Amino acid sequence: MNLNMNSVESLVAQIQGLSGNIAELNQLRTYLKHSDDLLRAESPRLAPVLNELDPSVHSLGYLYILDACTSALVPKEQAKEFVLHIARFINVCAVEQIRLAPEKFISVCKRFKEHVLLLEDPIRGVAPLLTALRKLQMSSEQLTTLHPEFLLLCLLSKCYKTGLSILEDDIFEVDQPRDLFLYCYYGGLICIGQKQFRKALELLHNVVTAPMSIISAIAVEAYKKHILVSLIHLGQFSTGLPKYTSSAAQRNLKNFSQPYLELVNCYTTGNISDLEACVQSNKEKFETDNNLGLVKQVVSSLYKRNIQRLTQTYLTLSLQDIADSVHLNGPKEAEMHVLQMIQEGDIYATINQKDGMVRFLEDPEQYNSCEMIEHIDSSIQRIMMLSKKLTGMNEMMSCDPAYLGKAGRERQRFDFDDFDTVPTKFNI
Amino acid sequence: MASTSSSGLTFKLHPLVIVNISDHYTRVKSQSQSPAAVEGGGDGETSTPHLPSPPRVFGCVIGVQRGRTVEIFNSFELLYDPITHSLDRPFLEKKQELYKKVFPNFYILGWYSTGSDAQESDMVIHKALMDINESPVYVLLNPSVNPAQKDLPVTIYESELHVIDGTPQLIFGQASYTIETVEAERISVDHVAHLKPSDGGSAATQLAAHLTGIHSAIKMLNSRIRVLHHYLLAMQKGDIPCENSLLRQVSSLLRRLPAIESQKFQDDFLMEYNDTLLISYLAMFTNCSSTMNELVDKFNIAYDRHSRRGGRTAFI
Repeated sequence: MNLNMNSVESLVAQIQGLSGNIAELNQLRTYLKHSDDLLRAESPRLAPVLNELDPSVHSLGYLYILDACTSALVPKEQAKEFVLHIARFINVCAVEQIRLAPEKFISVCKRFKEHVLLLEDPIRGVAPLLTALRKLQMSSEQLTTLHPEFLLLCLLSKCYKTGLSILEDDIFEVDQPRDLFLYCYYGGLICIGQKQFRKALELLHNVVTAPMSIISAIAVEAYKKHILVSLIHLGQFSTGLPKYTSSAAQRNLKNFSQPYLELVNCYTTGNISDLEACVQSNKEKFETDNNLGLVKQVVSSLYKRNIQRLTQTYLTLSLQDIADSVHLNGPKEAEMHVLQMIQEGDIYATINQKDGMVRFLEDPEQYNSCEMIEHIDSSIQRIMMLSKKLTGMNEMMSCDPAYLGKAGRERQRFDFDDFDTVPTKFNI
Repeated sequence: MASTSSSGLTFKLHPLVIVNISDHYTRVKSQSQSPAAVEGGGDGETSTPHLPSPPRVFGCVIGVQRGRTVEIFNSFELLYDPITHSLDRPFLEKKQELYKKVFPNFYILGWYSTGSDAQESDMVIHKALMDINESPVYVLLNPSVNPAQKDLPVTIYESELHVIDGTPQLIFGQASYTIETVEAERISVDHVAHLKPSDGGSAATQLAAHLTGIHSAIKMLNSRIRVLHHYLLAMQKGDIPCENSLLRQVSSLLRRLPAIESQKFQDDFLMEYNDTLLISYLAMFTNCSSTMNELVDKFNIAYDRHSRRGGRTAFI
């Protein structure tokens, strides 16, 4: 026992000594890796050791000791203490040092999340995890394992706006595929909560079309929500999946979401009563999937769709007629609906209150202002950047041995008079 | 030998003269080189082609002299006798008579030649011409192509009487000149400068050439405006003394723009601008979609085990 404590002391001395520059840090890291088992054996007694180290200077050593401390199951009181320690550590740690041991950092943060959930106070974890995320990312285009954890905490603590700030970044690099699935799914949920249906649709679409060799439960849930959000936002849903979807998804997803596809069929008819009947019949299934709230939004969006369809036929219409054709209860309700749609920008119209007539107008955007120039210009810049990235990826793909192997095999099936100077078989 | 002249005459040169001289030189050079090329081909054993020294061509320049301004309009060629080192006099006089009939105002102002620098033997020809014009000008064109050089390779020399070592001697002095153009000359020079590629070019290369021309023109305009702006700022701060004539010119330039200033013009202009931007945006979108499509196809071939392939599928 004493011998072990002595080694721990010497370890602490090493950490304090070797936290100077990058060469020393590499040395320290190898040393710490060797001492990992020792640390784990000593985990109950390591808590006071933390006080001897300064987290901002000795971040790497502190990280290893923290990891060893929290690896054992902790009772609730100690959890509070650890939460404080870890939060403080995340706020002051040195970025270069923790990037030397990313897996340890991720596991410490995961345990932090678990403790916070244990204490039933998820909001305490939101800010520290945001800092941790930013410190771990190499660039704002990288997705780390901490992203979905952070979004989960945001969802549980209802801090949707903080979550949205992370979702603004475009992701181009992913460490683990599972991270992407969870990140996009949680992100979709947050956007639905904030009523940003366009972004939610995009994120859920990413989950459904992401490459997967076998179908995953996350994808199935995302597909169900995708159907509902698509109905709310676009007013339609196409059952065909784009060609970049994995074949596993294309074949199996539909089997798991039968009630939702029935809902789609009822929606397209445009009949409110049919839709409500459909909802009633599948109510339990929607409830078990926690989607009943969304389904109710789908029903209310059908009114909007029908009113929008009226704009394509009529130039002016009385409120009474609107109420009749859309099966609303009266002109007052119709006025409320139309007003809300004008406010949200779904429709361009003026209501004449004297005779209860609604005039449908065209989109007043004339495209003759300087703000529009700036808007289009920024879009062009974004798409130029995207185009560069795409060409880069295309070139990388062309050099990929997996692709070259299969492309070579394909060539043998061409006609014999299709003479190619390129070799017909790639032996890689 | 060449220094700046101090006669105070202003020289104006027309592009026609420069084109004439260069055409003369090119013709003579190409005509004299072709027999040499034939010989080299027949020989088959010559290691390096023997380049003759570039021939010198000679001619006369004609124009008008009004007061202190000498304007050189046109030129014609002359025969040079290498033995007597003089120009063919009777020929010159005959040509002069012919040109006098067509252009009664033009006088022989001097002569031209090609080369890199004025030489001693040129003074002999110069003195010979002095009986026609008491102070002839000597226009020298440097035919060697120097891509780094930005100015025209044309120099105008005047003869001056200087006292050197006690004896009065005529030496050549360089004079500055400006280019003066008639409308017809401007159009033809512009046309020559923007020669289209010989194969007609696809629409893309023509568009690219057109846009490059516009781009360089705008760049030049931008840099000149910046110079003016800088100058005006310095004048405002007081670093340079105020020059009223320049200020008047700048103000008249500014008063010439804008041509139209009304709300309707603004609206139409912005709408057209937005339309062009939207079209470029659409073009980029299409480009991106096409790249994306290729990428997706490649990805499907590489990684998707049971991707649908058009045509015969593998028999596993």
